Amino acid sequence: MADDEQEDQKEYRWETGYEKTWEAIKDDEDGMLDGAIAEIIQKAKRQRQAQKTKQNRLGMMRHMFVVLDCSESMSVPDLKPTRLRCTVKLLELFIEEFFDQNPISQLGLIALKAKRAEKVTELTGTSRVHLKALESLANVSLTSEPSLQNGLDLALKSLKVVPSHASREIVIIMGSLTTCDPVDINLTIDELKKEGIRCSVISLSAEIHVARYLTQQTMGTFGAVLDDAHFRDQLMSQVDPPPAAKTQHNSLIRMGFPHTKNEVEGKDAPLSMCMCHIENLEEPSELTTTGHHCPQCNSKYCELPVECQSCGLTLVSAPHLARSYHHLFPVPNFEELPFEAMPASSSDFTSDVRECYGCAKALGQGVDKVADKVVFRCGFCKQFFCVDCDIFIHDTLHACVGCNTIPGVDGLVYQQSSKSDQVDAHPGPSKQRGQFAM
Amino acid sequence: MEADQSASKEAESCIDLLVIVLDTNPSQHFVRQNPQNLTQILEAVIAFGNAHLMQKAQNKLAVVSCSHHATNFLYPLPRRQVELRQMDGQYEAFNLVEKTVKQQLGSILMNAPRLSAPCESLLAGSMSMALCYISRLQRNLAPGVKMHSRILVLTGSNECASQYMTFMNVFFTAQKLGITIDTCALDKTLSLLQQGCDITSGQFLKVTQLDGLLQYLLWVFLPAPQIRHKLVLPPPPKVDYRASCFCHRELIDIGYVCSVCLSVFCKYSPICTTCHTIFKNPGPLPIKGKKKKKTDKQM
Amino acid sequence: MADTKSGSGRHSAAGGSGNTVLSPLGQGPANLECKDFQEYLRTRQTPESLEKLYNYPPICLAVFRELPEIARQFIIRILFVDQPVPQAVVTSWGAQRCAKEQAEATSCLTALNVWRVTAIPGGLSAWELSPTFKKSVRQVLLGGGKPWPMTNTLDKDSKPRDIAFLDTYAMSRWRCVLHYMVGTGNRSGTDAEAISPDAVRILLHANLMKRDERDGITITRQGFQFLLLDTRAQVWHFMLQYLDTCEERGISLPECLSMLFQLTQFSTLGRDYSSEGMNNQMLTFLQHLREFGLVFQRKRKEGRFYPTRLALNVTSKEAAATASVAMDEEATQDCGYIVVETNYRVYAYTDSPLQVAVLGLFTELLYRFPNLVVGVLTRDSVRQALRGGITAEQIVSYLEQYAHPNMRMVESAIHSKSCLPPTVVDQIKLWELERNRFTYTEGVLYNQFLSHTDFVTLRDYAQSIHMLVWQNERTRTMVVQKNGHDDVKRYWKKYSKSGV
Repeated sequence: MADDEQEDQKEYRWETGYEKTWEAIKDDEDGMLDGAIAEIIQKAKRQRQAQKTKQNRLGMMRHMFVVLDCSESMSVPDLKPTRLRCTVKLLELFIEEFFDQNPISQLGLIALKAKRAEKVTELTGTSRVHLKALESLANVSLTSEPSLQNGLDLALKSLKVVPSHASREIVIIMGSLTTCDPVDINLTIDELKKEGIRCSVISLSAEIHVARYLTQQTMGTFGAVLDDAHFRDQLMSQVDPPPAAKTQHNSLIRMGFPHTKNEVEGKDAPLSMCMCHIENLEEPSELTTTGHHCPQCNSKYCELPVECQSCGLTLVSAPHLARSYHHLFPVPNFEELPFEAMPASSSDFTSDVRECYGCAKALGQGVDKVADKVVFRCGFCKQFFCVDCDIFIHDTLHACVGCNTIPGVDGLVYQQSSKSDQVDAHPGPSKQRGQFAM
Repeated sequence: MEADQSASKEAESCIDLLVIVLDTNPSQHFVRQNPQNLTQILEAVIAFGNAHLMQKAQNKLAVVSCSHHATNFLYPLPRRQVELRQMDGQYEAFNLVEKTVKQQLGSILMNAPRLSAPCESLLAGSMSMALCYISRLQRNLAPGVKMHSRILVLTGSNECASQYMTFMNVFFTAQKLGITIDTCALDKTLSLLQQGCDITSGQFLKVTQLDGLLQYLLWVFLPAPQIRHKLVLPPPPKVDYRASCFCHRELIDIGYVCSVCLSVFCKYSPICTTCHTIFKNPGPLPIKGKKKKKTDKQM
Repeated sequence: MADTKSGSGRHSAAGGSGNTVLSPLGQGPANLECKDFQEYLRTRQTPESLEKLYNYPPICLAVFRELPEIARQFIIRILFVDQPVPQAVVTSWGAQRCAKEQAEATSCLTALNVWRVTAIPGGLSAWELSPTFKKSVRQVLLGGGKPWPMTNTLDKDSKPRDIAFLDTYAMSRWRCVLHYMVGTGNRSGTDAEAISPDAVRILLHANLMKRDERDGITITRQGFQFLLLDTRAQVWHFMLQYLDTCEERGISLPECLSMLFQLTQFSTLGRDYSSEGMNNQMLTFLQHLREFGLVFQRKRKEGRFYPTRLALNVTSKEAAATASVAMDEEATQDCGYIVVETNYRVYAYTDSPLQVAVLGLFTELLYRFPNLVVGVLTRDSVRQALRGGITAEQIVSYLEQYAHPNMRMVESAIHSKSCLPPTVVDQIKLWELERNRFTYTEGVLYNQFLSHTDFVTLRDYAQSIHMLVWQNERTRTMVVQKNGHDDVKRYWKKYSKSGV
């Protein structure tokens, strides 16, 4: 990626000028640093926010393997309680978040144990399987070295057969500084590059040349963690869908939208079993009347999204697709302004109160005076928001409160970014938000 | 049994926040029929809100009005509190709710621009404002204090397809934050809000008789989501989760989804009309693909 | 086994004479009983007097909030229904699997006389809300009727009191009472404000203090337990005792209760209220409240008073916990001063003799400095407290309540439930448990059996109906549970008759 290429030309950290990091920290009136630190964190948050530029071509259908080092080096207690435990805990969060943000994507787990690679879970779209497998991984015995190549090869073998329209990724979490490989790892890297599989590495110890080389070649990211919070950030940055790879073929994918057949002509649907639990011995399939039926072959599933086991059709529900739309249509960044720039509310009984438009918090009063030094304004609806609402709107809600409550604001138009024609003049198919006819 | 008791004890000690989103758009069907109806609904909503406050001392209430021109908080109005003394036997806090809501709504309607043609209510936006408010209160909780929040939407408007994205974002945010969305539809069945209720496991109810509104509200929406399983409530309606295609807006069973922007089409086309991506491999079933790629991912 | 040589053949003498042996061993004088509001209503009030209470809307609202959750839903649903609702209908509102909980709710409503059974045409029995209750609750919710007392309009207070002031005022007043109890108030002379004879009378009545031989007044064991309660519980207990005595003073109980609730649950902190229109009795009551710090009034005659935090939410523990937060974003100040370490050491940053005395109840004090007391929790010190009737729960909650703010920070940092070190909490509970190795069963002793067969027959019978507690073949003794006594006796009579 452009990012990496830039870094290539940059000199080493010790060759750059002095960074006076301590000058950024100033104590507040009470001589406490908390406020200053909070401010730095907030700035960082906003910076990341600002970097999220509009990306229309993302790899939304992701097939990702998480390769987890389970070698001796993972028992080091520099991340508490040990590297492995810490990683497993964070991975749990990651998996939940991943499926929340990428509902039609699939994930698989590979463990690197004693120079071998072992597939812990196959690529699937349900988080439960992975969480269960992770639980058992937490107590695995940690011995010997990992083999990066074996892990990559195993992932590659599975990802090769994934349809070409999907974004294929490998995320490697390495604790070890070394890798013990059967043959030249460059061959594998070349193969990965050729296939267009994006590899990212998070190193728990230090920067490793071969790992960085791998990420550079495959357009992935490389990170060495500082502490658990940083680790978490690194991992969570993998949740957002990456830009579409060049090798990724764009295509239309056939998908099924099952409807729940609860009633057939007024009568209750007959009892039937679901396909997802039919081979699961621990939780055997139960006879029920509810479920989602594949529109093609009529097999029943109790959970969506799922790939039909008999006809291979991907079954999703409309909200699943909608869940990913916010990646494609993010809320534009708000403008940061000093508190004084905010006009007092115009409404008659609030002559001297300035309120956040979103949460109705009175700004610049009481304990939050420091935090309210800056306010944020949406460029479309011109409404002012407090810091917290700004973050909430961009991180969680993905919809500007002002643009959506004030009629006539063209704010909604930005969501259908690529569209240039008028909304009403042309009720054409390109109207993203008009997907549902009532 | 013991766990049950401790759970109920916990339920007693946490704060229940109810945010009522009230549609006050004059172009609603029942308002156009008879403007008095709005007053009637307002009375019911206030009584319902107060009944919520009556449940527990630490319960909290917020009322948001969604009108044709703006969305405003009707209650609470911080630092603008009207100095009130009891006029009759009503509890002073309840009286405050009643007076504030009525006063505020009155002044909003007075200052509203005249409505020339019927227009949609921006309900999704109002709900997003309610979410901002909830998330603020959530942030400001003292450590160790729990808060359950829910949103009740009362509307007689039609929902507008143009708000689809916002609605969905609101539903997913609510689901993530554990906020229940309840809907009381006063006119038509609202399929989007129905989906929202289903996603956040809330109640959806269509009331056509305005006379019994309060009784319906008290029955279905007053119990906190945590105790609803102990009561018999109307069964959830069947929610249709099928997608409609972008080209003809028809509900479809099997469709084609653009791998780049996830637009839904009912027929194969060589170019995506949303993101203008050109699809490389022609042919009706791209999933079969070129070379010998198997679709089966299980190795 | 030796056969009983009994020449007399008096069969009747055999097992028939049962004498109760095992009753719960008295644990000294009764422990401090802390009732919540619901228990108070159930135990002290008859249906008639409850009905009288329901004439006061504040009481109804308070009662309503005390009800179980399901019960509240039921009430709300029939509140606006004018005719009685068939019982079957009400039952159908609750889910089947929660039938037990529902039954509890129903019986609670009946016990508090909130609703009662009536017959409706068709021979079905139905529930009907008590009309007084219904009227009052409707009034609270929707308005109508007379305004509550003390809500008369007031001019703006020229010198309004802020919440911080009210807090310090209330605590200092309440501490007077506590100081008096430990007797420190008089001795040190710093807090020399003695409390009124009325308050003393309540303390005596509540058995928190007693007159000793020399006609002085000393604190009782219950008194010490009282000191360990958190402030809210102290105030509530104290007020309950006060209410007990108020009839004697000629103050009407319903009026008192109503005002108390209005003050404690339904008034806003930091707002002034008017005492206009109150009768003399109520004014006396107000003066008493003022003395204990529940309200602040500048002058005795002034028609304006402020409720204090002490008064707020005394009835419900859960509400009190969240009350401070419920006030939108309002800062609350902690007055914690105790640090407990994992090595059982307790550091208390205090110079108050009262706090030291309370701490001394269950810790072994090591050092005293002008502003710091160091103690250690030992098995002996805690057991001594336990012997005194203080429970482990009380000790732990006392330490939690007054935990130093820094300890609380740790609590939120590690997401633990309590701010105390878990080891210490567990150990205190274990120390309590080791005293509870006996379980007491009430029973009847059967002995003096004439023959072994008699004994075996009766024993086997008792065993077969699962009523046997203990038996010894050699001494031919057995103990039968008390409720099984009748059965066993009957069996014995039948057996001895047929046996002869």
